[in-house]
Amino acid sequence: MRVLLMQIRRELWEHRSLWIAPLLVGILLLAAVATLSQVQFFFGSSSTTVSPLVLMLFGWGIPFYLAAGIVVVVYLLDCLYGERRDRSILFWRSMPVSDTQTVLAKLLVGLVIVPLATFLFAAVTSLFASAILALRGHVQVNGQGSPSWNGLTWLRTQLILLYSLFAVMLWYAPYATYLMLASAWARRSPYAWAFVPPVLLAIFEYMLFGTNYLGRIVERGFNQLVRLAFSLDLQLAFSFGDTAVPAGARVSGRGLPQPMPSRLLESPQLWVGLAAAALMLVVVIRLRRYRDDS
Amino acid sequence: MANIIEVQDLTKRYGSGPPVLDRLSFRVQAGRIVGLIGRNGAGKTTLLKALLGLTPYHGSVRVFGLEASRDRHALMSEICFIADTGVLPRWLRVEHAIAYVEGVHPRFDRKRAEAVLARSAIARRARIGELSKGMITQLHLALILAIDARLLVLDEPTLGLDLIYRRAFYDTLLSDYLDKERTIVLTTHQIEEVENVLTDVLFIDHGRLALDLPVEELPQRFVQLNVAAGKGDSARALEPFYEREVFGRSMMLFEHRAPEVLAGLGEVRTPSIADLFVAKLTAPTASPEPPQPAAAGEAA
Repeated sequence: MRVLLMQIRRELWEHRSLWIAPLLVGILLLAAVATLSQVQFFFGSSSTTVSPLVLMLFGWGIPFYLAAGIVVVVYLLDCLYGERRDRSILFWRSMPVSDTQTVLAKLLVGLVIVPLATFLFAAVTSLFASAILALRGHVQVNGQGSPSWNGLTWLRTQLILLYSLFAVMLWYAPYATYLMLASAWARRSPYAWAFVPPVLLAIFEYMLFGTNYLGRIVERGFNQLVRLAFSLDLQLAFSFGDTAVPAGARVSGRGLPQPMPSRLLESPQLWVGLAAAALMLVVVIRLRRYRDDS
Repeated sequence: MANIIEVQDLTKRYGSGPPVLDRLSFRVQAGRIVGLIGRNGAGKTTLLKALLGLTPYHGSVRVFGLEASRDRHALMSEICFIADTGVLPRWLRVEHAIAYVEGVHPRFDRKRAEAVLARSAIARRARIGELSKGMITQLHLALILAIDARLLVLDEPTLGLDLIYRRAFYDTLLSDYLDKERTIVLTTHQIEEVENVLTDVLFIDHGRLALDLPVEELPQRFVQLNVAAGKGDSARALEPFYEREVFGRSMMLFEHRAPEVLAGLGEVRTPSIADLFVAKLTAPTASPEPPQPAAAGEAA
């Protein structure tokens, strides 16, 4: 446990963007609500029955998760490649830490720690922002006035976000391990290894057979996850400042989205993905253990 | 004494090229200081990496009874090593490097590392990338020497350090060694500096053992003759394995020749390890020792 914690700290020392990016988003958003003359959230049709406060809180999280998503992809692609590139792997491997521990710590950082930390950043800033917005009263959600604050709604929204986060972790675990595989495999350019082969394969498949089975197998759409994990079909869009309502943005559904963990956990697609993730993880560990190109 | 390291038929190839290590077999007993000496590209670093389980290999490498490639992380609690200097990650801060080793290594003693670093100009908040090469090596050595390990493996530990620091390093190494039951395996090109430190030498040439010798047996096994004028042919008749002209005089090295036999032919002395190394690796007759039953000539 001590070793695992130290491995996690070590990852955060190396990849500072992992915590700087969400922090920066929080600061920028707070600065924006504190200085902009008017803040508007648009979620399509104003006839939605989802409360404006919930919409605002959802919208609030989006830039955080976008930023976190980008830094996590960059992190996972670098986490097993960088140490080979600068040969520091010789130092790391001179310590009594197994390759399994190292690889698991890296996965844990990318898939669990950063998303959870981002959630905390987003939750805390949403409190501050709500306070600023309430004081200044310059917020509009779908053209209606400032949403009235409700602590219970805030808490329920955060719980739903947290549940979504765990659903996302499970759903996208194979993507994360795939990126780690590219990172552990590549002699140079893990980006090319991660993105070129699947695209080429898909193109070949389409040219040869006119089909897109590969795409369908590996595709794990977000909306698909939302349909599995929640009781409603939710599509969110977000805009900031005085920009116009994005076309096609809409919220369909009534009330707060209801988490459906049992439906998600019973989905074969989830489990096939997790099995693939476990398999790739084993390969990654073996690559780190037996590969010697230092 | 127990064998800390037992290597049997160790072979290593990179790709389809010739073997870098070719059926090496040897043993290292507890408490020895072994110098692994060879030319550039002889396979020293590969051998050390195999000992540490850092590279896949054929044959058997048992360290503390564990198979190195399989049980690397268990081994690392007993071993500390510098596989190469300059592999500390450049983004890491000095204080974080100390905290990291303290966090993952049960035998790390922070006070000792701090004490060594206090004598250097290394700032705690500095990133390793901001340090000079010599400082990085000093830091690495400070970290490694603060680990109370039973086996210390050092690959060119003093590369790039000035003479004063090198002396200080070997002094520290030796006093630590004397304090504790430690075994040390090291490689260096500066043989003269470690000549008085080593208890055993392993010469490695083209991936094979050219010599496996406890230093205490050196005087019985090898004799250096600085040939007196006019005695060259008589000396040559005794079949030296190496001959060299130094200032117009012949210097010859003999193996398994009693000094008394040579006494009349010139000045007889024990060769230095450096001379022996040059002789063994450049003599036309130099041939790698056949893979011998391990521990031969090493029974203490």
